Amino acid sequence: MNGELQALLDACVDAVIIIDHRGCIMTFNRAAVRMFGYQPAEVIGRNVNMLMLTPDQQHHDEYINNYLDTGTPKVIGVGREVGARRRDGSQFPVSISIGRIDGDGPPRFVGFLHDLSMRREQEAKRLAAEESVREARERLTHVARLSTMGEMTTGLAHEINQPLTAITIYAQAAERLAAQPSPDLGELVGALRQISAQALRAGEIIKRLRDLVRNRQTHEELLDLNAVVRELVVLAESDARVNNVQLVIDLAEGLPPVLGDTIQLQQVMLNLVRNAIDAVQAPGCERLVTLRTVRVAAGVEMSVSDLGSGLDPAIRDRLFEAFATTKPAGTGLGLAISRSIVEAHGGRLAWRPNLPRGSCFHFHLPAVSGGTP
Amino acid sequence: MKNHPPTVYIVDDDEAVRASLRFLIRSVGLPAQAHASAAEFLAGYDRRDPGCLLLDVRMPGMSGLELQQELNRRGATIPVVFITGHGDVPMAVEAMQQGAFDFLQKPFRDQDLLDRVQRALARDAESRARLAAQAEIRARLATLTPRETEVMQLITRGKANKVVGAELGVSQRTVEIHRAHVMEKMHAGSLAELVRMVLDTAEPTQNP
Repeated sequence: MNGELQALLDACVDAVIIIDHRGCIMTFNRAAVRMFGYQPAEVIGRNVNMLMLTPDQQHHDEYINNYLDTGTPKVIGVGREVGARRRDGSQFPVSISIGRIDGDGPPRFVGFLHDLSMRREQEAKRLAAEESVREARERLTHVARLSTMGEMTTGLAHEINQPLTAITIYAQAAERLAAQPSPDLGELVGALRQISAQALRAGEIIKRLRDLVRNRQTHEELLDLNAVVRELVVLAESDARVNNVQLVIDLAEGLPPVLGDTIQLQQVMLNLVRNAIDAVQAPGCERLVTLRTVRVAAGVEMSVSDLGSGLDPAIRDRLFEAFATTKPAGTGLGLAISRSIVEAHGGRLAWRPNLPRGSCFHFHLPAVSGGTP
Repeated sequence: MKNHPPTVYIVDDDEAVRASLRFLIRSVGLPAQAHASAAEFLAGYDRRDPGCLLLDVRMPGMSGLELQQELNRRGATIPVVFITGHGDVPMAVEAMQQGAFDFLQKPFRDQDLLDRVQRALARDAESRARLAAQAEIRARLATLTPRETEVMQLITRGKANKVVGAELGVSQRTVEIHRAHVMEKMHAGSLAELVRMVLDTAEPTQNP
């Protein structure tokens, strides 16, 4: 090989290896030395399969023979990604393109090898970055949920206080009854039953609360949206009560199941209900908030409507933008996060005027056919 | 007037709390009536019915405070004991300013509640007795003739018969006869008693 050609090959960034028709290495340029860690003298004349991994290593001779017999190229002119082995035994990915060199005698083959380790690393970094964005979103969703719960503390404390109050009164009255000369046992048993029922009620509220507050990964399952609403109402009613608002629950019968994450959907509903409760605090508003489910063409729609003063056209466009808020203490994240949750569920969250007045926030989720929740 | 025994009325939207309160009140032998809302209570309540009211301060629809205002507007004198939650102190203060009898924070000791209920019932009985007495005095006052009324007004201001006679242009003897009729019609044993009756009825007549 003349000096000019050698200089040309050595200037190549990619490894260039030329083999003969038996697979023996004839040329091994400088980039190949850097890539594999072998000196040319160590590889020239040896079978190129020493640089390969299983199963190519075992079958490479066959590949060449097949090609020489049939003339049908498998790799030549196409290129592919394969694994390669360095002198120290370590493995790395390369993209390889092969050309045929014709001349006197049997054909030779030239391979151009490009090290993909860097690209793979970048790919891994990109995936990690996407993963951390997803995690950050889940954390943000969780924080938003916590902050909503924080705003609801008064109502929740009240809601847990109710059964505790009933338990206390029943227990004390039962004690009073039992101290009488001939106590009415039927009355006593009734009081005891009420005590256990109310203790269970308090436990149920705390369970719902824990479910919402716990940091957790998204968990999708087939859901009855009505059941999701009913569970939520346990918590939402406490907030409504504190703010002297009445919740009306209007759930359509026979809805198809939807696929989703209960807690995240409840977070959306809670957010909408809290906004609605705020909306009817304005003087002169009827303090009524309606939670409704209906069957729609696109699946199942859940809506929260209020009889407040509606939306200022100026903020309608910015409604779902992060940090857009009209509340003095608002983060402006509630609706933005709610919309991203609904969209992750394949649905859409939107606003429309409520009739005769107020706002209606509604979202739909696609129905899942052929399954029951 | 219907003859109801004094009753403890309970208004609370929480079914369990309502039922437990009724249970407790009945366990000490007092009649109790429970209602789920202010509207339900108002629909069945006659302000002449004696008793006291145990009222949850927070309720959907008409709140406890609003019910109290409505009762005030209707001239009902039933004593109201408010039951409040933890963070409701400002509401309790407002209720007291509007004339609530007392308030209790949840959860509470049964004895505290029963003591307040007993005091509220005693207050109600007292004020009803006073109102009945005033009504009786007003009924007696209505039987006086215009001349007797004039004489009564002057003598209860401490004027002597002679002065009254001079002011009304009649003889002292005539004044004495009117005065005897007044004392008799008013069932007053002494001038002091008559003065007290007039004072007792003075406030309601200014403020019907």
